Amino acid sequence: MFRCSTQVARFAPTRFAARNVLFLRAQSSNAVNRAQLPFTFSSSGPSAIKYTSQHEWIAAHPDGTAFVGITKYAADALGDATYVELPEAESELEAGDSLGSVESVKSASEIYQPVGGVVLEGNEALNDSPQLINEDPLGEGWIAKVKLNNVADLETDELMSLEQYEKSLQEDH
Amino acid sequence: MIAKRFNSTAALKKTALYNLHVSMGGTMVPFAGYSMPVKYAGMTHIESHKWTRQHAGLFDVSHMLQSTLRGADAVSFLHKITPTDFQNLPVGTSSLSVLLNERGGIVDDTMVTKTGASEFYIVTNAACAAKDTQFLQDQISGFDCQWQPIENRSLLALQGPDACKVFGSLIKGGPEALKDLYFGERRPFELTDGVQVQAARSGYTGEDGFEISVVDSSAELLGKLLLDNSLARPIGLAARDSLRLEAGMCLYGNELNDGTTPIDTSLGWLVSKTRRDGSLGKFNGFEPIMKQIQDKSNSVVRVGFKYTGKGPAARTGTPLLSEDGSTAVGHVTSGSASPSLGGVNIGQASVLKVARKAGTKLLVSVRNKVFPVEVARLPLVPSHYYKK
Repeated sequence: MFRCSTQVARFAPTRFAARNVLFLRAQSSNAVNRAQLPFTFSSSGPSAIKYTSQHEWIAAHPDGTAFVGITKYAADALGDATYVELPEAESELEAGDSLGSVESVKSASEIYQPVGGVVLEGNEALNDSPQLINEDPLGEGWIAKVKLNNVADLETDELMSLEQYEKSLQEDH
Repeated sequence: MIAKRFNSTAALKKTALYNLHVSMGGTMVPFAGYSMPVKYAGMTHIESHKWTRQHAGLFDVSHMLQSTLRGADAVSFLHKITPTDFQNLPVGTSSLSVLLNERGGIVDDTMVTKTGASEFYIVTNAACAAKDTQFLQDQISGFDCQWQPIENRSLLALQGPDACKVFGSLIKGGPEALKDLYFGERRPFELTDGVQVQAARSGYTGEDGFEISVVDSSAELLGKLLLDNSLARPIGLAARDSLRLEAGMCLYGNELNDGTTPIDTSLGWLVSKTRRDGSLGKFNGFEPIMKQIQDKSNSVVRVGFKYTGKGPAARTGTPLLSEDGSTAVGHVTSGSASPSLGGVNIGQASVLKVARKAGTKLLVSVRNKVFPVEVARLPLVPSHYYKK
């Protein structure tokens, strides 16, 4: 997420005001929405929720099914989503492979697969309602449902907990 | 993360409205050496865009270079560096034009207003300021006229169907005083509290509106007065770009550059009929440009296009292919989703002349996938100028 793949770098925000970050933190808006599929997929809820430094989240369930999307912080920075490029089912993706992209009027940002797995489906609801990315990026706006190769891959130091992710946002700016 | 690459804010210049932008929650970004608002808190890019089309948007365009040209040879000088007839242009009116290099390539696009028989007010792009200054200083030698950047004046653009109501309520005489100020005209107005401004009925959105030049010391006051009206909202650079794209206007560096002539970019109308026989002075690149006009020898033209389905937007540089995908026919110069057209992807492109006709079906190739598009007439969204 968030390698701008277009010329719109001229509009790229330089810094996000510290008070906005604090606001986000207080609201904990980068937490997965407990009322939506990424959380409710299994009755016990996700066994692990992790974040990448490039602002993806992944919520993995005990059976190895995981949901991937972008954080609220990323969605706010991107602005109104106008199109979401979804991955095709059965794509085999390694960690770091492109999973799709999110477009706003001014830019396009790649989304990367946090850990290796096979795509089960993209969130087709985003075809008609790309704005779900802005309205509920950690819930209804999930981007891909994947079968992880190995749930233990989530234990890498590369991935962050919610607390670590929120802290990284603060340190970044 | 995008922030990392653009964190050298130290040397950025600030316009006179900087504090106002920050106080309104502007997301400030570096643009052409200035710290400028890309959007404001409380309104998304799309909301800002639509607000301007439906009401009135206020843009700070003070980063653009305002200058004056004065002296006996002012017209002859303009006739060397531009293809537009400034001799017969009435005083108090403006024309879009282009600065041309010796090969007929476009150095910059510009709005030039005739303020007196041998006096002009010129607005050029912020991003080209250094290049334009060098160009003008080089070109002016031997002409009896002086070109000078204007210091200490801000430029505010108020755009949209309610712009007249909003600006009119602040000036002596009220909105009635704007009734005979038509598109392309510029003259002085006095605000009810005595501040003097110069207002041109023009803009970069395709809507009715004004570009108001005011001394820096009164700029914030004017900005606040305009925004006191609930019909007006501050709009940032993001929506400015999507509005101009829909309106079919060029962005220097995207549609225009030093290697493109006015004919290559479908701006032949800037070459005034009265300039084409050379009797009013031959402009830079006269021969190559007139040859392109006479034998239609330009290989490319600028067109608009629309997607016929959904897909990722075709951004600058995206290749355009023939409908069967076999032949490259050009490239996208600007492209994005169109907020006014319900999010359909649109753009402008430089294409071979075989693909110039509206309705021609082509493909864009975005990240190795192709999407069908159709060549469309510019502007892609109808303009609403206040004309006679």
